[in-house]
Amino acid sequence: MTLEALIQVLIGGLLLGGLYALVAFGLSLIYGVVRILNFSHGTLLSVGGVLASLLYATYKLHPVFLILILVPAFFAFGYLFYAYLLQPLERRSHFESTVGTVLVTVGALLILSDLTAKLAGATQRNIPLRFEAIEIGEIVISTTQIWILGGIAVLTVAMQVFLRKTWFGRAIRAVTQDPVGARICGVDSSRMKAATFAFGSSIVAVAAVLYSMSFPVDPYMGFGLTVKAFTIIILGGIGNLVGALLAGLFLGVAEGLTGFFWKPEWAPALSVILLLLILVVFPKGLGRSR
Amino acid sequence: MLELEHVAVDHGSQRALWDVSLQVRERELVGLLGANGAGKSTTLGAIIGLYPAASGSLRYAGEAIGGRSTSRNVAAGIALVPEGRRLFPAMTVEENLAMGAYAPTARRGVREALARTYELFPILADKRRQDAGELSGGQQQMVAIGRALMSGPSLLLLDEPFIGVAPILVEEIIRALRRIAAGGVTMLLVEQNIHRALDFVERAYVIENGRTVLEGGRDALVGNPEFSNKFLGLD
Amino acid sequence: MRRLGGPAWKMALFLAAGGVPLAGNAYYTTFAFTILIAFVLAQSWDWVAGEMGYVNLGHYCFYGIGAYAFAIVLVAKYPVVLAMLFALMATAIAAAVFAFPLFRLKGDYFAFGTLALLPLAEVLALNMVPVTNGSDGIVLPPDNVLGEAYYIALAVCVATVIVTGWLTHVRFGYALKSIRNDEEVAEVMGIRIFPVKVAVIVLAAAFAGLAGGVQAWQMSFIDPGTVFGLNVALVPVAMALLGGSGLLWGPLVGVLLLATMQQWLLVNVTGYQATIYGTVILLIGRFMPGGLLRASWVRERRWLSGLVQEHHERITGTGAARQVSGQLPLAVRPTDRSRPMLECREVSMTFGGNVAVNAVSLSIMQGEIVGLVGANGSGKTTLFNCISKVYEPVGGGILLDGRPLAGLRRDQVAHLGVGRTYQIPRPFGDLTVQENIAVPLMFGEDRLGPREALDQAREFVAYARLDARLTDRADALSPQERKALEFARALACKPKLLLVDEVASGLTPMEIKRFVELIRDVRDRYGITVVWVEHIFSALAQVVDRVIVLEQGEVIADGVLGDVVKDERVLRTYLGGAAQKAAVGHA
Repeated sequence: MTLEALIQVLIGGLLLGGLYALVAFGLSLIYGVVRILNFSHGTLLSVGGVLASLLYATYKLHPVFLILILVPAFFAFGYLFYAYLLQPLERRSHFESTVGTVLVTVGALLILSDLTAKLAGATQRNIPLRFEAIEIGEIVISTTQIWILGGIAVLTVAMQVFLRKTWFGRAIRAVTQDPVGARICGVDSSRMKAATFAFGSSIVAVAAVLYSMSFPVDPYMGFGLTVKAFTIIILGGIGNLVGALLAGLFLGVAEGLTGFFWKPEWAPALSVILLLLILVVFPKGLGRSR
Repeated sequence: MLELEHVAVDHGSQRALWDVSLQVRERELVGLLGANGAGKSTTLGAIIGLYPAASGSLRYAGEAIGGRSTSRNVAAGIALVPEGRRLFPAMTVEENLAMGAYAPTARRGVREALARTYELFPILADKRRQDAGELSGGQQQMVAIGRALMSGPSLLLLDEPFIGVAPILVEEIIRALRRIAAGGVTMLLVEQNIHRALDFVERAYVIENGRTVLEGGRDALVGNPEFSNKFLGLD
Repeated sequence: MRRLGGPAWKMALFLAAGGVPLAGNAYYTTFAFTILIAFVLAQSWDWVAGEMGYVNLGHYCFYGIGAYAFAIVLVAKYPVVLAMLFALMATAIAAAVFAFPLFRLKGDYFAFGTLALLPLAEVLALNMVPVTNGSDGIVLPPDNVLGEAYYIALAVCVATVIVTGWLTHVRFGYALKSIRNDEEVAEVMGIRIFPVKVAVIVLAAAFAGLAGGVQAWQMSFIDPGTVFGLNVALVPVAMALLGGSGLLWGPLVGVLLLATMQQWLLVNVTGYQATIYGTVILLIGRFMPGGLLRASWVRERRWLSGLVQEHHERITGTGAARQVSGQLPLAVRPTDRSRPMLECREVSMTFGGNVAVNAVSLSIMQGEIVGLVGANGSGKTTLFNCISKVYEPVGGGILLDGRPLAGLRRDQVAHLGVGRTYQIPRPFGDLTVQENIAVPLMFGEDRLGPREALDQAREFVAYARLDARLTDRADALSPQERKALEFARALACKPKLLLVDEVASGLTPMEIKRFVELIRDVRDRYGITVVWVEHIFSALAQVVDRVIVLEQGEVIADGVLGDVVKDERVLRTYLGGAAQKAAVGHA
C-alpha cells in the first residue's frame, strides 16, 4: 500500500464522486422546485450511458457531439415527462399526488430499464476511447480522466454561474426557498417546474456521457445511482450546489477508500449506511438550501 | 382602478370569501380591516391571482383579472407584500430585491429600481450582500416592501406589514410608505391595529366572515358604534 | 346478488383458497401460493402506510431477512417450525432496530431512508458470505413441500386478514389513524407516538418475514437478487396502491389484479414483461392514484360497494341512540383561588434570531378564567405552544399545578391535565366527529376502550351541539363546526387547564354568547381553569376574571379587564386611540 497507490485511488474516487455529484445536481434542483421524489432519475444516467456508448460504437462520434445530441433530447424528454405524467397529479389531494408520483416514477424506471436492455443488451458497455497515460512519478493518469475531471469542473462552475447570475437560475433558488414568495414576484410556477425538471434531466445527460467514458454502464444500475443521489442531496442540502459537490466527492472517495482498504464489494453499501447514520443524527439533512 | 364585486373564493372545499365588494380609486390609500380569519389575506391573494375567484368579478384598470395568473397581474402593475413577508432566506438582500423585478418588463430597469429602493431604505444598501434570513423583522419587512416595488407597480397590496416589527422601524416604514404614496402608487392595506391603519388610510372596508360589511372614511368609522362593536367588540 | 365484500364472500374466498391444492395442479397451486404471499406483503405494508401514513419503501427487505433467516436455520437441519420462528424473530428485531433511526424522519425523508434499506440489505447479503453464502445463495432441501407451504401461507394470510380487521376497532388502530391525520395533534391528545410506530413496523415486518420464510421453503433457493432486488421489491407497494391503500379490500384487489397480470405476462409474452408491468403501474399512478377502488366509476357500482369501505367505516354504531345526560363525564376539580394552576417563570422562545416570547412571567390561579390578548405576532399562540409542549421553551420554566413541565413529552403534558384548541382547527380529518372526540378519551388518563370511548364521546358531542354531525367526517364540517369540535375534543382530554385559542372569531354574536356560556359552565361546574386567547373584547368581557396583554413577546398589562383597557401602554400599542374613547365610555 503505497502513497502513490493511495493517490491513484483518490483520483478515481474524486472522478466517480464528481459524476455522482452531477447526477445529484439535477435531482437537487428538481426536488427543490418540484418537490417530487423521482425514482427514475438515476435510470436516466444508465439510459444515457448506454445510448452514448451505442452511438459511439456505431458512429464513432466524439464525446462532445454525444453530449450535444443527448442534452436536448433529455431536456425534451424531461419536459414532456413532467408535463404529461406528473404535473396533472398536482391537482389531486396530497395523498393521491404522493402515491401517484411514486407509481409513475417507479413505472418509468421499470420501462426505461427494460427498453434499454432490449435495445442494447443487459451487459455492461462503455465508451472505449483511446487515451494516453500520463505518468507523474508512479501515478498514472489517463487523459480521459483529465477530460472527465475537466468536464465536471466546467459543469459545476457553469451551474454556479447559472444559479447566481441568470434569471432562470435565481428563480429556481427562489422557488426552492419560498414558492409563494416566488409566485408573487411573477414566477410562473407550472412552467418553472417543467423547465426545471427538463433542465435537471439534461444535466444527467452530460454526466452519462462522461461516466461511460471511464466506467461501465448497464441498464439496471439506475436505481442504485438514484439512492446515491438522494444520499448526496440530503448530505449537502437541497438546492445547495457546493454542498452536493462536496458530498458527492466525499462519497466517491469514501467508496474508493473502502475498496482499497477493505473490500470493494462493500463500497455500494457505503452510501446507504452513511445516509442512515447522517439522518439519525440530523433528521433534516445537513446543509442549508441555497 | 380596482373593483371587486361580490367576489367569492374557495380554499379547497371550504369557502373563504362569500361576498366581498370594494373599490379603490387611483392614488387612494384604502384600508382593509377585520378579525383573524375574516378573509383579508384571501382578498389580497385573490386580487394578485394566488387564488381563483369562484364567482363575482374583479377588475383592475378596466380589465377583468378574475382568473388571471399571478405573473400576468404582476406584469400589469399589481404587487403584494405578503403576510409573513415570504422572503428567500438564503439569498442576499439584493437578490431578493432583484426577484421583485422578475417580470420581463421589469427586468430591464433592475438597476434603477434597486437604486430607488436603496434610497428609500438606506439600511438595505448597507446590508445588500447579507442573506435575507439574517435580518431583523423590521429590516426584512423593508426588503419585502422593496421587493414589491421593484416591478414599478401602480397598485400596492400590503398584508399586515407591521407584525413583528420594532416600533422605531414601524415609524420608518410608515414614512417610506407615505413617500411611495406621494409618488402616485395606489395602496390597499390590511392591518390589525385600527389606530395605525386609520392614521394612514383615507378610508377603509371592514370584512367579517368573508363579507364586506362596513365602509367609510376615517371619522365616519370611528364615530360609528357599529364599527366599534364589530371590530373592537366593545359593547 | 349479495354485495361483494360481505361475510359470505369472505367465507367463500377462504374455502376456495383452501381447496386449491386439493385440485392437484401444481401450476395453479403455485400461482395461488404467490398470490397468498403477495397479499401478506401488500397488506402488511399497508398497515404502516395506509393506516399510519408512513410510506415505507423498504418493506420488502423484511421479507428478505425472513427468507434468509428461515433458510439458514433449515439448512442447519432444524425443523421447519423452528425455522419459521427464527424468521419471525429475526425480522421483528431488525424492524425494531431500524425503527429508531428511521422514525426520526418525516415525510419524504422517511421514504428516502426506507428506500435505502434495500440496497443495504442486498449488499449485506452479498458480502456476509459465511452466513449467507454471498452471491451463490442458499439452496434449501428440495423436498416437494408445495402443499404444506401452501397451507402455512394460507394460515399466515388468514392471520393477516384477522389483524387487519382487528386494527379497525381497537385502540391501537385509532392511534395509527390519528398519527396519519396529524401526528402533532395526536401526541397533544395523549398518544405516546414512538412506541406505536415501533409496534406497527415490527408487526408488519414480522408478517413480511413469515411470508419470506414460507416462500423460501417453497422456492428452495434464494439469493440476494431474488429477495432484495428492486424489480420485485416495489411490487407489493404497487399492488397495495393499485387496489387502494387504506381500504379494507384495497390490497387484496391490487394483488389479485397485478399477480394475475404478471402470471399472464410470464406465460404469454416473451420479453418486455417489465415494460408492460411498468406501463400498467405508470398508468395507474397517472390516472387512478387513489387506487382502483377509489375511482369514481367503481364507487358508483352498488354491487361493489362492500369493497370500497374505508377502514373506519366498518365501525358499527354504538347501539341504539341512548339518552344523553347533559352532564359531561368530567371530574369536578377543586378550585383553590390562592393556588396557581399555571406558572410561567421568565419563559422565552426564539426561532432563529426572532424572539417570539421574551421572558414572560405570569400566574393563573386555579379556577380562574383569564383572557390573553395581543396583536398578531405578539406571542400568544407561541406561549400556548410552549405550555402544551409543541415547542420546548429555550428559557425559563413552566409549572402546571406545581409540577415543572421541563423535558416532558407532549402526551405526558396532556396526561398531567392540559387540553388545548388550535387557532385554526386541526381535526383528524378522515375520522368522524364521534371518533375525533373518542381519541383523547381512549388515550387519556382513563384509557377507555374504543366502544366505551365512542359512547362517552356522545356526551361531549351533545355538549358542543354537534349531534347532527355525529357520524360525519371531520373534514366535511364547516369552519364554525370545526371550532366546536375542537373545543369538545379539548374537553375530552379531561383537562385541569384548558387553553382556548381564538375560538370566537367568525362567529355571530349569538354563537359567541353561547360559547361564552360554555366556558363559564366549564369552569363553574367542573372547576377547569381556562386561559383564553381572544381579541373580541366583548366576548372576554362577559366572563374573564382577568386579562393579560402581550406585545412583541412581553407582558405589558396584567389585571382586571376594566383596568387593562384604560392602561396607557395597552391603548397605545394595541387598542389604538379610536378605542380609547369607546373604552372610556365602557368603563
